[in-house]
Amino acid sequence: MAEATAAPIGRYRGVHAAALASLPRATPRRLERLLGRRDPAKVWEKVERGEMAKWVAADDLHDVWRDHARGTDLEALRSRLESLDAWVTTPASAQHPFTITYDIDPAPVLFRRGRMPDPTAPAVAIVGTRRCTPTGRSVAMELGSGLAAAGITVVSGLALGIDGAAHRGALAADGAPVVGVVGSGLDVPYPRGNLDLWDAVADTGTLLGEAPLGAEPEGWRFPARNRLLAALADVVVVVESKRAGGSMHTVEEAIRREVTVMAVPGSVRNPAAAGTNLLLSEGCAPACSTDDVLVALGLATAGAARGAVARDRRIDLDSLDSLQQRLLELLDDGPVSLDVLVLRAAAPVPDVLVAADGLEHLGLLARDGSRVMRA
Amino acid sequence: MLATVRSATLVGVWGQPVSVEVHVADGLPGFSIVGLPDASCREARDRVRAAIVSSKLKWPQKRITVNLAPSDVPKSGAGLDLAIAVGILVAGEQLKAESIADTGVLGQLGLDGSVRPVPGALPLVDAMDHSSVIVAARDSTVAELVARDRVRPVGTLRQLFDALADAAPWPEPPAARQAAPPESEPDLADIAGQPLARWALEVAAAGGHHLLLVGPPGAGKTMLARRLVGVLPDLSPEESLEVTRVHSAAGLALPDGLVTRPPFRAPHHSSSMAAIVGGGTARARPGEVSAATGGVLFLDELGEFAPSVLDALRQPLEEGMIRVARSQGMVEHPARFLLVAAMNPCPCGAGGTVGCRCAPGALARYQRRLSGPFVDRLDLVVRVDRPDPADLLDTAPSTPSAEVAERVAQVRRRAQERGVNCNSELTGADLDLHGPLGRAATEVLRAALAEGRLSARGLRRVRTVARTIRDLDDGGDELRSADVLAALSLRMRLDGAGGLVHG
Repeated sequence: MAEATAAPIGRYRGVHAAALASLPRATPRRLERLLGRRDPAKVWEKVERGEMAKWVAADDLHDVWRDHARGTDLEALRSRLESLDAWVTTPASAQHPFTITYDIDPAPVLFRRGRMPDPTAPAVAIVGTRRCTPTGRSVAMELGSGLAAAGITVVSGLALGIDGAAHRGALAADGAPVVGVVGSGLDVPYPRGNLDLWDAVADTGTLLGEAPLGAEPEGWRFPARNRLLAALADVVVVVESKRAGGSMHTVEEAIRREVTVMAVPGSVRNPAAAGTNLLLSEGCAPACSTDDVLVALGLATAGAARGAVARDRRIDLDSLDSLQQRLLELLDDGPVSLDVLVLRAAAPVPDVLVAADGLEHLGLLARDGSRVMRA
Repeated sequence: MLATVRSATLVGVWGQPVSVEVHVADGLPGFSIVGLPDASCREARDRVRAAIVSSKLKWPQKRITVNLAPSDVPKSGAGLDLAIAVGILVAGEQLKAESIADTGVLGQLGLDGSVRPVPGALPLVDAMDHSSVIVAARDSTVAELVARDRVRPVGTLRQLFDALADAAPWPEPPAARQAAPPESEPDLADIAGQPLARWALEVAAAGGHHLLLVGPPGAGKTMLARRLVGVLPDLSPEESLEVTRVHSAAGLALPDGLVTRPPFRAPHHSSSMAAIVGGGTARARPGEVSAATGGVLFLDELGEFAPSVLDALRQPLEEGMIRVARSQGMVEHPARFLLVAAMNPCPCGAGGTVGCRCAPGALARYQRRLSGPFVDRLDLVVRVDRPDPADLLDTAPSTPSAEVAERVAQVRRRAQERGVNCNSELTGADLDLHGPLGRAATEVLRAALAEGRLSARGLRRVRTVARTIRDLDDGGDELRSADVLAALSLRMRLDGAGGLVHG
């Protein structure tokens, strides 16, 4: 018999789970009903034979899935997983993060590159808008590196803007491994500009995604990704967000799961901070530094956090020259363009440039696009 | 019977002597031109015939062959019309061969026998060292710049015939037209505020450093750039001749006499590669980069130029000339210009400030249009913002161009004492001699290199800018840390998000 001579394909890398996730119209809910805690290999056999329980999906889908399953080349799928060095887990596997398994809206199949996330380490999701200000980006990097250095798993979405900055900060700290949760297939890096970040995260940490291989970054996949972010985190920190947007959706998912939400305060004139300021007015705790987040996690005391902030900001103002002191006084009125600074200081342009450069080196002055401000 | 008439044709921006050989022989009446004429040159057949007939002269009903020697140089344009007509008259034995001995002939013909000016009259006349040169009356002022008393202006073919046949005296040269008052250049005093951009402009003019202004629409980038020419010194006599030669070859309107002020060229961003670098099939016409030689090339909306066009600017930016290769040969055009570019920080224009509506990808794509090697050649990159009227009310009136021009001229004089035209041309060895780094300045540069803020190429360029900054200040020998820091502050880079960062 021809079937008997073909060696049965192994369960290596969870190839059956990957195949199930690739079925047409396999929504997380249908997959959840189909899989439960069952062995994906056995479920796959049933799908191939068209012997699923009636309640899994409508009748027409049974036939579609059966035909699709018979046309699937598991061997090819396995070699693709191998070339990506990706693993696929289901709740039946010990490697499936249990915060996902027991989530109110669980992901039945997860694709993973890199190590298994440490289930005991506290995790903080840093999220925010893709169109952030340079300030937002640097705050996200600072939080990412500070938290990673403190041994916290930094979770984010690998998008442009805040997400990417948080990852880059955490990777630069060389601390706890990071987790990136993506919306497209693991073999479809998106956005293309963050390709290096995908590989860096997969090399030292974990890259997670729910979408089957080859899945394009379609819009509907991102809200689903956001719920995974909320499910994996103990605290969600929003760095910059508009009033409506993906980050606010992550916040809703976090609230559904009773995960603490913190927001970084921003200027009232900054539209990219409208969402975070709204969260603060609704009672979210402000996250002004890494220590604020550590306090929220119960890992540091409020007093220690305040002390650390005070230490950071103490700089000997007497060591500055008179023009630098004058510039700092002028900047107390708020951010201005360099042109206005020159006009107000009534000093020659090169002198102001040199003084501003010195202040920037001391960390007393920051640039935000066209303007300079006190750091 | 055979006749030879001397003329010239343009190769690039230089004149190349041409012998027009006309052979009139018995046989079937006909007229052919050989010796690589282009289309407009070949059409001379019809113009010359009509002009001779209109001038009440005899058209020989014989076999006429015209050879343009040297035969391997492509000839273009209608500038050889007059020489061909004279050749036919001599070969047809209506004029004596001696009458055109040691005489250059240059001019287009109208069907009525009038003689018209030719583009490139200056380099063409320059190429003819004969004891007299016949040109169109309207070319006489230009021709006299290089040929003084040898120029014989004529208005019509008949006038020329009569003069050569000794039937009439040579026509009087047209009375020198009243020199038009020099066009007033816009003044820097018109611009209030913008201290940073004004200072960058002054550094650019003084040291010949290329400048990029980045800012939202309405910030005054174009206004500023147009005022750069006003602070540049007059062209030196050699530069003057070169610029006039290029403008003449490019067919640009010339003032009466030499071009003495630095030209300002502002090609539109839809300009083609050939329009910018020069080109054309037979004769490589000088492009905008050559027309701007000695002056300012202003590229407004830099981000909208085709990336290939911008990358083609790298050679002129580096070497001060451009080599245009065509299937029929290669020409070198001068292209020594000061590049001033302006661009919005992002497609919507608000980049880096509140209210930018660009998608992050679109923004990065917009800035990526400028290649790294191109941006690396821009020494001064500064941000220009819309001034806040409240800040302008109680400031002192702006410095007028004349005052800035004086400082610029002084820095340029110092550069010439160092043996270069302007500081941006100083080599590493020159800088060691004329701009040694102080101990603190060395430390600043070492730190910038270690931080990756500066490349090796950038290092020399920062030192030349620092040299200019010191020259603008007090002209001391050593470069101080403040000069180097100020130079570094002017060398910002686009950060991909609508802002500028050190780099």
